[in-house]
Amino acid sequence: MRELFRKRRMWRSRPDLKKRYDVVIIGGGSHGLATAYYLRQLGITDVAVLEKGYIGSGAAGRNTTILRSNYKTPEGARFYDASVKLYERLGKEMEFNLLFSQCGHLTLAHTDRALFVMANRAEVNRLQGIDSRLIGPDEVKELAPTMYVGEDTTYPIMGALYHPPGGIIRHDAVVWGLARGADAGGAEIHPYTEVTGLQRSGDRITAVQTTRGTIQAGTVLNCTAGWSSLICDMADVPLPITTHILQACVTEPVKPFLDVVIVSSQMHVYLSQSDRGEFVMGSEIEPWTTYRTSGTLNFLQDLTRHTLELFPQLEQARILRSWAGLCDLSPDYSPILGQTEVENFHVSAGWGTYGFKAAPIVGKTLAELVASGRTPDLIAPFTLERFYEDNLVSELAAAAVSH
Amino acid sequence: MSRLAQQPGERIDRSQPVSFTFDGKPAAGFAGDTIVSALYAGGRRVFSRSFKYHRPRGELCGCGQCANSLFQIEGAPGIRGCSEPIREGLRVVHQNAWPSLDFDVMRATDRVGGPFTPVGFYYKTFIRPRRLWPVYEKVLRSAAGLGRLPRRQDEREWETEYRRRRCDVLVIGGGAAGLAAATRAAELGADVVLCDEDAVLGGLLGIEGGHERVRELEGRARDAGVEILSGAPALGFFDGLVPVWQGSTLHQVRADQHVVATGAIQQPLVFADNDLPGVMLSGGARRLAAAYAVKPGERAVVATVDDRGLDDALALSAVGLDVVVADLRPDAGGGELAGRIRAAGITLLTGHTVVRAQGRDRVERAVVAKVDARGRALGDGSTHDCDLIAVSGGSAGALSLLLQAGGRAIYRPEIAGFAVTELPAGLHAAGAAAGHDRAEAVEVSGAIAGAEAAAALGRSPNGVADARERLAQLPAAAPVATPPAQASDGGRRGKAFVDLDEDVTVKDIKRATLEGYDSLELSKRYTTVTMGPSQGRFSQLPAARVLAAETGLDLGTVGLTTARPPWSTVPMGVLAGRPLEAAKRSAVHRRHEELGATVRWAGDWRRAYDYGDPVGESVAVQAAAGIIDVSTLGKLLVRGPDAGELLDRLYPNRMSNLAPDRIRYGVTTSEAGRITDDGTVCRIDDETFYVTTTSAGVAGVEQSFTWWLETWGLNAHITDLTQGVAAMNLAGPQARGVLTGLTDLDCSAEAFKYLDARHAEIAGVPCMLLRIGFVGELGYEIHCPSVNAEHVWDAIVRAGSKVGLRPFGLEPQRVLRLQKLHVIVGQDTDSEMTPYGAGMDWIVKLDKQQDFIGRWALEHTAAHEPSVRLVGFTTPGGELPTEGAVVLGTDGAPEGQVTSARRSPRLGQVIGLATVPAALAGDGAQIWISDAGRRIAATVTTKPFYDPEGEVLRS
Repeated sequence: MRELFRKRRMWRSRPDLKKRYDVVIIGGGSHGLATAYYLRQLGITDVAVLEKGYIGSGAAGRNTTILRSNYKTPEGARFYDASVKLYERLGKEMEFNLLFSQCGHLTLAHTDRALFVMANRAEVNRLQGIDSRLIGPDEVKELAPTMYVGEDTTYPIMGALYHPPGGIIRHDAVVWGLARGADAGGAEIHPYTEVTGLQRSGDRITAVQTTRGTIQAGTVLNCTAGWSSLICDMADVPLPITTHILQACVTEPVKPFLDVVIVSSQMHVYLSQSDRGEFVMGSEIEPWTTYRTSGTLNFLQDLTRHTLELFPQLEQARILRSWAGLCDLSPDYSPILGQTEVENFHVSAGWGTYGFKAAPIVGKTLAELVASGRTPDLIAPFTLERFYEDNLVSELAAAAVSH
Repeated sequence: MSRLAQQPGERIDRSQPVSFTFDGKPAAGFAGDTIVSALYAGGRRVFSRSFKYHRPRGELCGCGQCANSLFQIEGAPGIRGCSEPIREGLRVVHQNAWPSLDFDVMRATDRVGGPFTPVGFYYKTFIRPRRLWPVYEKVLRSAAGLGRLPRRQDEREWETEYRRRRCDVLVIGGGAAGLAAATRAAELGADVVLCDEDAVLGGLLGIEGGHERVRELEGRARDAGVEILSGAPALGFFDGLVPVWQGSTLHQVRADQHVVATGAIQQPLVFADNDLPGVMLSGGARRLAAAYAVKPGERAVVATVDDRGLDDALALSAVGLDVVVADLRPDAGGGELAGRIRAAGITLLTGHTVVRAQGRDRVERAVVAKVDARGRALGDGSTHDCDLIAVSGGSAGALSLLLQAGGRAIYRPEIAGFAVTELPAGLHAAGAAAGHDRAEAVEVSGAIAGAEAAAALGRSPNGVADARERLAQLPAAAPVATPPAQASDGGRRGKAFVDLDEDVTVKDIKRATLEGYDSLELSKRYTTVTMGPSQGRFSQLPAARVLAAETGLDLGTVGLTTARPPWSTVPMGVLAGRPLEAAKRSAVHRRHEELGATVRWAGDWRRAYDYGDPVGESVAVQAAAGIIDVSTLGKLLVRGPDAGELLDRLYPNRMSNLAPDRIRYGVTTSEAGRITDDGTVCRIDDETFYVTTTSAGVAGVEQSFTWWLETWGLNAHITDLTQGVAAMNLAGPQARGVLTGLTDLDCSAEAFKYLDARHAEIAGVPCMLLRIGFVGELGYEIHCPSVNAEHVWDAIVRAGSKVGLRPFGLEPQRVLRLQKLHVIVGQDTDSEMTPYGAGMDWIVKLDKQQDFIGRWALEHTAAHEPSVRLVGFTTPGGELPTEGAVVLGTDGAPEGQVTSARRSPRLGQVIGLATVPAALAGDGAQIWISDAGRRIAATVTTKPFYDPEGEVLRS
């Protein structure tokens, strides 16, 4: 209770840049801050996090706050499961309520083909010890009584993949909690500090150029999601990544109406109701590549039309705000994580629409990589090399819309 | 009743009384009244309860912009009471208060909980024990939200028409500037559309006594041919596309030139208990009087920082209110308005502002004091009895659309607010949105913008330079004082609100800043300031001022938050349009319905899954004959001297050496060597190929073929015939007999061999016949013009009925093809399957001269054992695994999956296709299937279960 009244800074206001840091993390989003946070636990505290905007201004603050681990590949499921488990205890560990609501996650199936994919995911998940199962329309109706579960609709609901531990979390709180933890451990957080170049000499990055001066770094981490291929270009490390926008919107708040996360791949829509009462809704990645985060009218029209197929009652709910964020898409929809050909330059990239879900486990495993120099087993399948060796970890079938 | 005598330009029609109900009790007004004006006239002052503290709230803006009077009407929450017209029998109810609007038990959160619920309190509480969080969360959730959605689940009621409108100039805003701009552009010959959110045009001019001038301007605009959309807010700026919502129509307007004349939003002032009902924008109070002839109060204190407040004070005085004015400016602007105020006998306190509102649930007194530069009261000030505090805290240009369109906001101290610069080409700002605040300047700036828009379209307007000069010579805007960030933050018990929607106070912003949320974006996310239904219209600038004061940064550096669509909140039903989902149906779909088919989605198509008896249907095909509608197959005609070359580069196998009238199976692959689609290629003549694709894949295949055709510059063209050509497959031992009776073609096994193609008439209809068979029987795929498809279908069904022919659906087809281990691309293959993994090594011709799509990757793949292979299997125990069940590797880890599984009526056993680890892909290998906890043993087979040598197929 005392904490409630204490007016204490969460983090230092922007410190001066030092000449050198053991670790320089590019990107002050959930991945960069989580890495700084977990580095502290391994005793590495001479760390700078460089962020070109305010912390959490990129994908960390633009996602639709959904967490889940019911992925299609065993490698993916194992990895995201570890992430959800870290999220479960992160609030307590950081003494910051992340408002993590494990309200359950339903991926609807409207076709045979979708049922097939769900059955496969359920079984892969079950074998990994993840609570995930295929349920029928009756159970769907129990979990989401306000949803239209009838036969006489364009896309009748034939079943769903039910994932009880999935849910929603307050995304900004994750950013702030991690920033506070990292800052308390000594890491410096530098908002409004943009990286403009990387100096590479042979197999090493020797310096990081920023809008506030050049700094030396022992190890450099690229945690910049939508911009990751641009940062990697600075190090002459090509990434097989294309950047697209993903759009989302919220409605004005209304009284409690929906208590689970609903996803429909066929309808290209996912929605949940936040604790404030707003419906938070999103669609699929736009197919064209761009760095321009202005939204489209088509998105709002398609999203609302599809949402009303599931929830006709929402026709009078008012759209309040829409926005777009960048997604760094890899060829197999799995991340590119860990070492590159440059010895002291590691990446967290290729996240598509899944990055936020993985923040703590990325932070933990990258911190281990930095500390030990060895790639942790959990992220070994996600190396950049897999594209040269044809060892893809394909989440594609699950990825059309799969928040 | 507080109805005034008739006001010049009033909107109400006193000859048309309207009755409605509010919270079940009868209420009355006149046609033209809004919900708020009618209720206000009836004496109601409290219209809502606030989001967090459930404090009573009165009207704020009077024009549909604020969140102080949101109501629920039937199933619709969030109705803007101060702009929504009343209608006979309308049932209006309040939101977010229980048991009633005037007595709300949740008010306790304000009185008791207030000190315990500082900004962000939920981030700092309920952390442990973690298991109790769901309980707390439930309580928090039930307290949140404003309106209520119906829980009904019947059909949608809302139907919006999309209307597309192309025009030369779109003018957004129908005030003096917008009307002048539209008229000027239209008189110069441009096709002009003008939209305004208000039901009545004229903007501020119409409210401030200029209704005659508005009538003139509107008449001129109509005469010039301007299309006027009123009651129609522009929702956003999407790369030049502007959706305009008008009733049940969503106009999607695309214009060459845009004039944004959206006006300015009068700002509130921040002082202690500045949310008491009775604290209103002076413009809102004036609007109640001018437009609805409602007397907003008896005794008013007008607190202002600009001339608009003085003008409003005069107007309020003129309708009989007893007015005291507190002007923050030491000289009250120094203009003629101050003189007129004094001449009217109104008390004018200069250098003063309101520092506190007092009263129990409505304004009873205002505390007015002299303040220093930081807004701190000097001395205790004086107390004035009043029932209205009308505030004018300056104007904030309505810049959102300009910013969405790419303009940049900069701070301009002389207007105590932001203006937009760097407007992209084709975008023009006019009127108050461009920083003009005097009627004449507003109108002239509009005319200039209209002329400039027309000039950009190639017209030659005269007199633009003169007009610019005239604008420059008009008296400068009256000086505006920068309102203090807060005039008293409320002290221990009071609250000074920065954001009424979200109940965010000055203390909240200060506290957040101290904690480190020291940019406007961080502060917004932490305190939720500007995130409510009024979208920051009244809170953004006040919040930025508090933040600037706390951080010592100037307002320009603090900046604004990003402008995001929609500019006006909009019901989802309006955006959604009609509840239409495009579905494709084949030319013989009617027959399937007549036969009582089970119809399901297959890609974009509605297809017959079965006709009620899938087992019987499959038995009929094998015993006699069957017919299945395969019109959904993609059909492309590839024609030209380079057609063969093109196909050789697109398919891994060779197509150019195909003889005329012969058919070959093919798969297409991606550049990564993955199977993307399959189908048949039939050569019609030297330069013509008829290509079929999967039902779902045709669009992608056609796009990819066309793209590559252009890239390579080959001489060929591609025509998609899918919808124009129907196809049906006649299969079974009796198929030849049935066909022979309908055609002159020699259908003998010698004359018409397997993989031959023929042109012939069937039942008098010219058809193309392909001798192929997906289901494994002797079969003919008959392609005919869609218009004749029912005739051909009927003829075959009639002829076949004598030998036991039955139509069969997709489900029996799946069983039959599975007996042959024929692969369905997209079901048995996924995005990672290569031809090698699918057991189609023979289809990849690496000895071809040409480079082909995926060659590099397939050469690489050919050198390695694929990680999984697609094979057939049976389950000796007879268990039927779920499609999607997991195939375990030797170490028990998930390695593959069951892609198809069926019980075969003919074979009397369970058969299927599965991807299995390469090590387990040999005939007779035993695999384990994990299926929702079951472990099922299965035996691998690589040979078809039925007719393994293809003798039946070729017979």
